Amino acid sequence: MRKLWIPGAVVALIVLIAIAAPVLPLMDPIRQDVANRLAAYVPGSPMGRDEFGRDVFSRLIWGARSSLAVAFASATIAAVIGTALGLLGGWFRGVVEFLAIRGADVVLCFPPVLLALLVVTLLGPGTATLILVLSVLYLPGFIRVSFAEVLSARSQDYVEAVRALGARTPRILLRTVLPNIAGPVLVQLSLAVASAVVLESGLSFLGLGVVPPTPSWGLMIRGARATMEQAPMLLLWPCLALTVTILAMNLLCDAVRDVADKRGGGGAKKLRLVDRLLPGLFPAPAAPQPLLDVQGLTVEIATPGGIIRPVEDMAFRLDAGRTLAIVGESGSGKSMAATAIMGLLPPAARVADGVARFEGDDLLRMPEPARRKLRGGAMAMVFQDPMSSLNPVHRIGDQVAEAIRAHRDVPAGKAAAEAVELLKRVGIADPERRARAYPHELSGGMRQRVMIAMAIANRPRLLIADEPTTALDVTVQAAILELLAELRRAEGMGVVLITHSLGVVAEVAEDVVVMYAAQVVESGPVAEVFARPLHPYTRALLAAVPDGDIEPEGIPGVVPRPDAWPPGCRFAPRCGFATEACATPPPLEEFENHAVRCIRWRELSA
Amino acid sequence: MTEPLVVAEAVEMSFAPRGILARGRPVRAVAGVDATVARGEALGVVGESGSGKSTLGRVLLGLLAATGGAVRFDGQPLPKPGSNAWRALRARMGIVFQDPFGSLDARRTIGAQVEDGLAIHTDLSAAERRAKLTEMFVRVGLDPQRLGAYPHEFSGGQRQRLGIARALATNPDFLVADEPVSALDVSIQAQVVRLLADLRRDLGLAMLFISHDLPVVRHLCDRVIVMYLGRVMEEGPVAEVFARPSHPYTRALLSATPRLDPAKRLSRVILPGEPPSPTNPPSGCVFRTRCALALPACAEAVPPLREIGGAAHRVACIRADEIN
Repeated sequence: MRKLWIPGAVVALIVLIAIAAPVLPLMDPIRQDVANRLAAYVPGSPMGRDEFGRDVFSRLIWGARSSLAVAFASATIAAVIGTALGLLGGWFRGVVEFLAIRGADVVLCFPPVLLALLVVTLLGPGTATLILVLSVLYLPGFIRVSFAEVLSARSQDYVEAVRALGARTPRILLRTVLPNIAGPVLVQLSLAVASAVVLESGLSFLGLGVVPPTPSWGLMIRGARATMEQAPMLLLWPCLALTVTILAMNLLCDAVRDVADKRGGGGAKKLRLVDRLLPGLFPAPAAPQPLLDVQGLTVEIATPGGIIRPVEDMAFRLDAGRTLAIVGESGSGKSMAATAIMGLLPPAARVADGVARFEGDDLLRMPEPARRKLRGGAMAMVFQDPMSSLNPVHRIGDQVAEAIRAHRDVPAGKAAAEAVELLKRVGIADPERRARAYPHELSGGMRQRVMIAMAIANRPRLLIADEPTTALDVTVQAAILELLAELRRAEGMGVVLITHSLGVVAEVAEDVVVMYAAQVVESGPVAEVFARPLHPYTRALLAAVPDGDIEPEGIPGVVPRPDAWPPGCRFAPRCGFATEACATPPPLEEFENHAVRCIRWRELSA
Repeated sequence: MTEPLVVAEAVEMSFAPRGILARGRPVRAVAGVDATVARGEALGVVGESGSGKSTLGRVLLGLLAATGGAVRFDGQPLPKPGSNAWRALRARMGIVFQDPFGSLDARRTIGAQVEDGLAIHTDLSAAERRAKLTEMFVRVGLDPQRLGAYPHEFSGGQRQRLGIARALATNPDFLVADEPVSALDVSIQAQVVRLLADLRRDLGLAMLFISHDLPVVRHLCDRVIVMYLGRVMEEGPVAEVFARPSHPYTRALLSATPRLDPAKRLSRVILPGEPPSPTNPPSGCVFRTRCALALPACAEAVPPLREIGGAAHRVACIRADEIN
């Protein structure tokens, strides 16, 4: 709401002054006084006099009347008619669409000035003609914008939902579709008003708009141009008025759109980036050296509401040739931990503490060039959504070859041949032909295979797969998991698999880390953890999976938000075994290869 | 015996390419499906993306007019979409969507959205609607104090509850739930499935539950149909189909579903290749191009659904007898 105040006040002030022009104690804007021609200052005329000795200040305010009236009237007319046409065209398609859209295209074909000349010749110059011309000019913009928005809105489930409820078309259009397209239309309106003010000035300047001696900003600029050398200030005032008005209009429309938008989280939050890394004081890794050893990893994000920690004190070890699964529900911090290790955190987030030793070298404190050399080389990552990770305008063979050449100095021809070999390796049939395909020509499973081919292009020793099969069908998922397991065996890679599916963990991983609300709550070998879960959350999670004959049990409540972690044990509010003692944060108890963060695990597992 | 509430006979749904310059064959999303849903019954529809399961749901609701075959609701053929009779019928059917974010209008209060059905179909006063709304909110486990809130203030699971409340506000007889828990975390999934099961029991709802997740269907539904490329591969009582999957596709699907104890699942069948394009399906059995058991005879005729082992368990495979 606060955003509305300043631009709103400025626009209101401008409009108010323009409306109040007749009652303000101003000089007559059209009374000529040749004696004071081009005077820089005359008592009563703070901005001086123009080429006919008329008061500039008074003309500026009276000019706002005609300029703004023309701009608002034409933009509003265009908005109402254009939105209605776009709405109907987008909803009914067919003939209505043809008429609205093609009609708009025809208007767009005319150069604006030519169209204005034509209309002025037919109707004669004047304010009404100008409004007509400008509304016709802005009509196509509104038709186009609202048409496109309606097309995307009509395919939304919430529109389908009201349709499924049997709502009549006008109700759907007015109550569901219109509010959802209002944002872009408002922006279009602000642009139209602003450019109408400019066009009005331009057309009046050419003598096609407002008829002298009625003052308008365009006419003032036109007049001032002739005497630019004697009185440059005369040009400044109307230009300044134009600039301020347009800026205020744009700001106001932006603010209105943000306030009207109830989607929440609207507008990117401005985040403070403090990049200071504390030196880690951890003992040297014990021999034999694990492939990846993460200790005390903590990630912070500065938000306007304070610092949140999406990952806190995370620890795990991965040996070469093994698969470790990080499992947790959305918001548990599992993906954030992986991106932190890869050095791919979004700019707003930073590693606040911890070490992540990859073959002994701390990834978190490594200079970015060194880390970049490792990424895609010795360690690689596969993401959930292969479509957004592949470049849509390049052939997949070229993209795989590019991944090879980014790390190894091989000639282009050899890289291309190797790319085909890799595509074959990940089970793509007819790899020579598929290498020439674009990402959109492949199915989701095929795209994920291409991503894996890129990831293994340089024989990585560590592969981090972030929900690699979540977007895929189960039969495709099975094939991809099989492929990963096969590659791991053949190449001796260590794999970190991030997933929310406990079934997938059971199928492919040897070790598991269970995360809840940024913390590790339990970790250990999969067979052990799944057979005898020690933490109540792990237990509840396993019971929630529909599997076998026992009916799945939900966990009451929801995962807490990162800005409102419970003070003690973070699972306590949803835990059936919570006691008063759970109000203090439990430590992660480690023994042999198992770890658990619960003060009651001994009595509960007894 | 009276007819089931929803009866679909040989339903076809083809989408023709549209536009003046459009060329190519139509997409047959649903190719001759028979299905019935009795009052109070929950029918699961299982299949992967592109199997036509969501399209079938929309055809049974009448949101899409079938391009072939017939759908009857409560003994009457479904009226033409957009007609007054069709519109009145909306009060008796509801739909719950998959995406808890896209299925609610972000710019209107949740109360207004759940109220829509009542405002459209009833003459209740504002106060009566409000009372009904409060009742509905309590029924789906939401706080009625929050009628004026906007969707973004709710979690995914709560939004699915809202979607269910919206669908059920007019006391429908038939509910289509299109992957209602697929986008939810596992701990929340079970809550929503439980809610649907309770509502079905308490309100005597007939339900079509569309899912790609077989285990979820198992606990919620009485019967299940397995679809592949617009056709029914197998159908039968849930326990029967899960205990004795008799179509190679059903077996592949079950074997691919990860289990907590991998030793308990069928030995894994990895399907070779990719699903064929629905614009140009294979001749005969549509699954034969990926089936390890396919014979030359599979290419000749579309295998009819035939009963196997009694108890309404039917399979469209000429080799079904050899499988179990």
